[in-house]
Amino acid sequence: MRRMLSAGTWTDQRVERLLGALACTVLALIAAMVVFVFAKAWPSFAHNGLAWFGGGGNVDRQLAAIFDSPSNPQDYVYTLHAWPMLYATALLSGIAVICGLVFALLCAVFIVEFAPEPMRRVLEPAVRLLAAVPSVVYGLIGILVLVPLVGNHVVSESMKRSVAYVVQLDGTSLLVGAAVLTVMVTPIMIAIVVDALRAVPRGWTEGAAALGVNRWRATWTISVRAARPAIVAAAVLATARALGEAIMLAMVAGSVGFAPNPLDGLLFWFEPARPLAATIVDNAEGLSVVPFGQTIYAFAAVLLVSSLFLSLAGWAAKRPLKRYGLAAR
Amino acid sequence: MPRLTTRLAVASAAALALGVPSVAAAKTTITMSGSTSVAPLAAKLAKAYVKTHRGVAFKLLQGGSDVGISDVAHDRVTIGNSSRDPKPTDPPGLVFNKIARDAVCLITNNANPVGNLSSAQVQGIFSGSVRDWGAVPNGKGGTIDLVGRTAASGTYDAFLKIFMGSARLSTTMAQKASNGLVQQSVKSDPNGIGYVSLAFTAGVHTASYNGVPCTLRNAKSGQYGGVRNFFMVTRGAATGATKKWINWVQKDPTAQQIVATDWVPLA
Repeated sequence: MRRMLSAGTWTDQRVERLLGALACTVLALIAAMVVFVFAKAWPSFAHNGLAWFGGGGNVDRQLAAIFDSPSNPQDYVYTLHAWPMLYATALLSGIAVICGLVFALLCAVFIVEFAPEPMRRVLEPAVRLLAAVPSVVYGLIGILVLVPLVGNHVVSESMKRSVAYVVQLDGTSLLVGAAVLTVMVTPIMIAIVVDALRAVPRGWTEGAAALGVNRWRATWTISVRAARPAIVAAAVLATARALGEAIMLAMVAGSVGFAPNPLDGLLFWFEPARPLAATIVDNAEGLSVVPFGQTIYAFAAVLLVSSLFLSLAGWAAKRPLKRYGLAAR
Repeated sequence: MPRLTTRLAVASAAALALGVPSVAAAKTTITMSGSTSVAPLAAKLAKAYVKTHRGVAFKLLQGGSDVGISDVAHDRVTIGNSSRDPKPTDPPGLVFNKIARDAVCLITNNANPVGNLSSAQVQGIFSGSVRDWGAVPNGKGGTIDLVGRTAASGTYDAFLKIFMGSARLSTTMAQKASNGLVQQSVKSDPNGIGYVSLAFTAGVHTASYNGVPCTLRNAKSGQYGGVRNFFMVTRGAATGATKKWINWVQKDPTAQQIVATDWVPLA
């Protein structure tokens, strides 16, 4: 044992090779996963072509037809127009990240610049704790409290009746989904932005103060500006979490593959929406039906690609910002 | 370094040997495919069976009753699981061994205790042509919220076949991933109606179907119409290890106890 730990065994060269091998394993795993998912998903894309991403027909009926495919491989049904789910994914993550970002920014400025010391000492750990709460917990609160509240007290009987033949407003809605998702992604953003604001050199804001600028203006024009790359990083991380959120959204936002229509005015917020990840969770039971499993893998492939593009977009957005500010952590 | 490698090799070899103790022993493997509703029961039963019968191993695939029946007809599996009764169009020479029964209940919120629903009413409600509780006898008024299961669920399949007949399911129905979630939704929504297995009716109102209340007793006696049978289908009469297994499932008290946890035993 002593021999294994002695300096002679673990030369820098050996350590470098060993750790390098470990790091390469990660790359290999990711590559293998992408190849596997795409190989599994291919028949679904191949049969539908670009129409896969379009709308048309009822997506739940299409999923049911795929599930009920005859057992003969030549007769497998693949027809699917996944637009309502793609739209729901974009809509929910978009709303949650934009609302969350505004809130996180203001909250972080308060914690770093304005909060009295005792309050800051409570706030910061609380935010970090919130960031670590498992999403099922949020889902449970949503389904036991918020969904019945919205369904029974916020949505009126006349609203329900007005769209009764198109969609049912039972509380599982865009509003509840986006609200809970916002609460879920905000703490991470606060934590990242707090760290970034704190890393702004003191001299910069002190310089501004010396010129007679008040604290709020100095923070807004100097600290927040300098922290922009970190703010982008926070938004990217939050979007990634929102995109992949499945269980919670399956519970509170969507049980129907419906595309909420902004033209419906207020009703828009009470209409259900089921994003891709939630669809995967809801339908995992049918994975062993070959064409249905391939369709589920197609959802997974779209999620994989979108998170890849998200990283790229974050990187591209940060590059010009870095010239003015601090590097993102 | 070489010594380290040797140690690692020895350790991993030991771990492998411990983890897979009986690779060498020859086993009879019973393969099953088919119904997703039967699968949880079959898995529970198989788990208990291998504890007492060392020489048997199981492989369980899912894919809907029709997949199971077609698989067993083509000799691709030993047993095809089916949650539907035999049809005249089924391939000839199949034996349907009934192993259990399962009642599917219609549930509403406790604040909306509808008494009885006829099959025409159920079809009207779930096809979306009746959208108001005011149009249902004993209904308290208000827009109906339909709660059901995802297409991949066996209960969805059974509901379509037993209750819906030729009527088409409404696309507004909320699709939940489990019986428990359907139960929870109906529990918290005064306008809700859903369908679940008999085991999931606590805390909600259970409606009668065609005049018969949905209870274990009525399901057992055969009076309740919303009962489906679970079958293990074999090609010709079962023989050898398969016959022993099916006999155990149908008759053994341990098996009956497992069945009785969520389903209606045969006895």
